[in-house]
Amino acid sequence: MSALRRTIGPLTLLLASAASAAAQDSVLPARELDPLARLNVATRYSVEVMLDSAKMLGLPTRVLESTALEGIAKRADGRRIVTQVRLVFRSLRDARAALGLSASTDELTAAAGALRVGITNAELSYLARTRHEKQLTVPLVVLADLVTRGVPRDTASQTIFQLWQRGAADDDFLGLWRGVERDIVSGTAPGVALLNRAREIPTRGSPPAAPPAAPGARPERSENPNL
Amino acid sequence: MSDELQSLDPYVQWIASEARRPVAVDPAARRRLLEAIHAEPLPRRESRALRWVLRPRAIVLPPLATAALAAGLVAFGVLGGMAINRDGRRPTDQRHAEDASSRLPVSLMPRAVKFELVAPKAARVSLVGDFNGWDTAATPMTSQGADGTWTVFVPLQPGLHTYSFVIDGTHFLADPSAPVAPDDGYGHQSSVVVVRGSAS
Repeated sequence: MSALRRTIGPLTLLLASAASAAAQDSVLPARELDPLARLNVATRYSVEVMLDSAKMLGLPTRVLESTALEGIAKRADGRRIVTQVRLVFRSLRDARAALGLSASTDELTAAAGALRVGITNAELSYLARTRHEKQLTVPLVVLADLVTRGVPRDTASQTIFQLWQRGAADDDFLGLWRGVERDIVSGTAPGVALLNRAREIPTRGSPPAAPPAAPGARPERSENPNL
Repeated sequence: MSDELQSLDPYVQWIASEARRPVAVDPAARRRLLEAIHAEPLPRRESRALRWVLRPRAIVLPPLATAALAAGLVAFGVLGGMAINRDGRRPTDQRHAEDASSRLPVSLMPRAVKFELVAPKAARVSLVGDFNGWDTAATPMTSQGADGTWTVFVPLQPGLHTYSFVIDGTHFLADPSAPVAPDDGYGHQSSVVVVRGSAS
């Protein structure tokens, strides 16, 4: 009888501990343990292949995973999610090629967004060559926003690049964006709004020297006469 | 044939003579027999250690030691399960790789960022983004007063973040006071916020 007691006590404790652990595990939502678990098998496989490829290339996988999760939240079907993750993957890869290995995760993400709205690899390379240790993230975010809001691509890129060369800071670009956004809401044409607001930004320091032309590099830009 | 046999019945005499007749043995039979014996594997001898391990025995532990052992086994299982994902893949060290390659964050301390949306007709508003896995239930916003302004403070790491508001659980809305993210391909615009480091 005493042997039975000695056996039943620890066994009960073991079962209780296991049940407690299992209960704790089930309390955690599956999305926290494995966010991609919400994808179906085929979609998840495709997304994970791209995540692995991005990791091998040293690209930020967080952006790709976020793109997939955004698709889930917005109830996109699996095919659309895979297409979009692949698009972001390619744009990140192109952004890395244009900006170089020293580009930060945020710069790559912003540059990938700029590529997706029509900014070219050559334009990104041009911007990267004149960076002088400055961060490209905010100018690229503003550039992508302006094109998305309807500013003609060439006008937007030319204006942003000139402000960049004049030493404009992040606050200048964000101020420019706010002004243009207000003007567009008020009914001003997007391109006109940008040119008007860009004139208000003072030159900060001397423009950086033009980078030496590399084979296949973008030719030196002409000054925008409207600025 | 002996006299004793001659006195017996002829049938019995025939049986006896047959029994005494030498048997003709195939000369190759002995060889085949030996080959068959050699082909049989020798019986394995169990080692003493194996016999000791396999011998059933009773282990008597005090209840406290048994409980400690059981708790240790459960803890081992739980920690092992946390280290390995459900599908058997180990978590990547991507976070460290990204932090090492990122030059933006001067300080990696999260900063409280205020998100605000005026939506007087909304019954509930939440915030989704790359910081909460685009989970519509993770970051609900609270209504301030009667003017329909919804706010929430979220601690964010310095860097670039993409986000959106979700009204009544279904309608996604970009932040009207922030730059828009490039087309997400899902039919809804999102917004971008750049959280600066402490020294930037």
